[in-house]
Amino acid sequence: METARRQWIYAWLMLSPAMALLILFTHYPAVQTIVNSFYSTPRGRRKAVWIGLDNYQTLILDDVFWKVLMNNFWYAVWTIPLSILLSLAMALWVNDKIRGRGFLRMAYFTPTVLPLIAVANIWLFFYTPGFGLIDQIRGLFGLAEQNWMGSPDTALYSMIAVAIWKEAGFFMIFYLAALQTIPPSLREAADIEGASRWYYFRRVLFPLLMPTTLFVSINAVINSFRLVDHIFVMTEGGPNNASSLLLFYIYEVAFDYWDTAYAATLTVVMIAILILLAIGQFFLFDRKVHYK
Amino acid sequence: MTTGKSIMLRGLRKAWGETVSLKGIDLTIPEGKFTTILGPSGCGKSTTLRIIAGLEEVSAGTVEIGGEDVTSRPASGRDIAMVFQSYALFPHLSVAENIIFGLRVRRMGRAERDAKLTAAADMLGLSYLLDRKPSQLSGGQQQRVALGRAIVAEKSIFLMDEPLSNLDAKLRAEMREEIRDLQKRLGVTMVYVTHDQVEAVTMADQIVLMNQGEIEQIGSPRQIYSRPETLFTAKFIGTPPMGTCSARALGIARDDITVGIRPEALVLDQNGPIRARVGHVEYLGADAMVECRVGDETLPCRISGRTELTLGATIRLSVARDDLHAFDSASGQRLDTLPPEFAALSAAQTTAPLGSHASSTER
Repeated sequence: METARRQWIYAWLMLSPAMALLILFTHYPAVQTIVNSFYSTPRGRRKAVWIGLDNYQTLILDDVFWKVLMNNFWYAVWTIPLSILLSLAMALWVNDKIRGRGFLRMAYFTPTVLPLIAVANIWLFFYTPGFGLIDQIRGLFGLAEQNWMGSPDTALYSMIAVAIWKEAGFFMIFYLAALQTIPPSLREAADIEGASRWYYFRRVLFPLLMPTTLFVSINAVINSFRLVDHIFVMTEGGPNNASSLLLFYIYEVAFDYWDTAYAATLTVVMIAILILLAIGQFFLFDRKVHYK
Repeated sequence: MTTGKSIMLRGLRKAWGETVSLKGIDLTIPEGKFTTILGPSGCGKSTTLRIIAGLEEVSAGTVEIGGEDVTSRPASGRDIAMVFQSYALFPHLSVAENIIFGLRVRRMGRAERDAKLTAAADMLGLSYLLDRKPSQLSGGQQQRVALGRAIVAEKSIFLMDEPLSNLDAKLRAEMREEIRDLQKRLGVTMVYVTHDQVEAVTMADQIVLMNQGEIEQIGSPRQIYSRPETLFTAKFIGTPPMGTCSARALGIARDDITVGIRPEALVLDQNGPIRARVGHVEYLGADAMVECRVGDETLPCRISGRTELTLGATIRLSVARDDLHAFDSASGQRLDTLPPEFAALSAAQTTAPLGSHASSTER
């Protein structure tokens, strides 16, 4: 009896440092955010008061919220599949025995190593109307100047391109690592049976890479909400919120307009979306994934 | 069912940069027979097999299968099936899907595919495992799945790259028999690579012994055992291998000759011409291995387990003329005729009964 209890105390003591940190900096703020979303924003001497679902009503009536949500939807729809496909293609290519393989691998990984702020500055130069890299190339073919980041039609897609460029190299590393664990004799066995490259990829390689694809796709989903650094540098969400995303909008509401309660409400919505997506992915993929 | 095709390799060379792996292989593998390619690791036996399979390109030379030059043809066009050392099963596919993988590639109809699967699974005793994944199978079962994939392909030639090396000893003996039976039943040409001489000797119609990228000897297991053409062959085949010593140690004044005698060919004989001292004795039950010290060298001798010899005792041994092998010390090549000096070694032979150690041991 006595020793059993002592072991309990021991266990809790061992757990407590990590638990204290987790509760203090993760769980408490999360709960507090949810609580805050039901209160008004405290201003000056006026304290926060319980307002029930008022913040959520504001949110439903907020045009900008729906705008950034749709932007985020398109941002996700383009960045997730394109960055995954691109990373898989690059990994398959640099996994082959080709000349300059080491250099290629490094080149593909460079965007990941660079901070997104620095990357944004590079792309700022690419997109600059008139003398930016893209317009210079267009000029060679006699095409007109284009204000990529200044036009509401192209601003969001300019941001999407940067995100894909940034992410693909990172995901490539995971695919490359997974490819290296697949024994070459599988390829040879398929060769002897007369399987084409595509058939082998479809029936063997891709299914064996499924655990990696699941991991990468969950990361891509999270990143599609999280990766907004370049928007601060490049467009600040403009023009007319054309390139604003949910997280960027939350930042604006919280730290430009200081409407913290409404920002908390937006955060709750974003976290709910992320949780739903992650759970959905697990259930959707899990049955199809073969783990070794 | 299918009938085998012959394989002919001519002047086969393979080099990776500076490293030369095959230094000119000329080899004919007869159709419908079981041929093992045997040799120590790194001798080029696997490379030879992979070149036959079309998984490796040749640096020079040609590969012919069934009389056709297939040197530049891809693996799938060579009428071969292959079983890999690691089995190369697809881990995410069931046993059934693994077996019919190639049939799906060739878009075979469902009914025909199922019939072939059932036949192969019955033959290998896999019928109750068809829904399992490879990771849920034992090593022997995985091996059978790999065989199943080769069987349903209905190719003329089976290539096997050390297929039993991942199995335990008991299972290995079973599978040896099974593979041998399978080859006979299907009538295919089997090329079987191994470093295990027991496998080679028990299974093969023809053994190709390789060493350092070259063929040492080609022959039936019996030929290779009873008439090794080189010192390497003599020392590689047999457990324990043939004992060798210089001719001088046996009292023959020739420095250019190395003598080889199999342990079981050396018999205790009170009138024997070879004098030796008893070294280490390893008792094995039915028989015992004796290190016989002749001069500064040793020859192993297999005697009956009932014979007891004392360490350091002097014994006399004899050997039949046919059991004496002589090799050129420099080149390692067999000497076709025994030099006349050797007559003395086996002339005085009288067959003494084995195990009568009292009479054959001088104290």
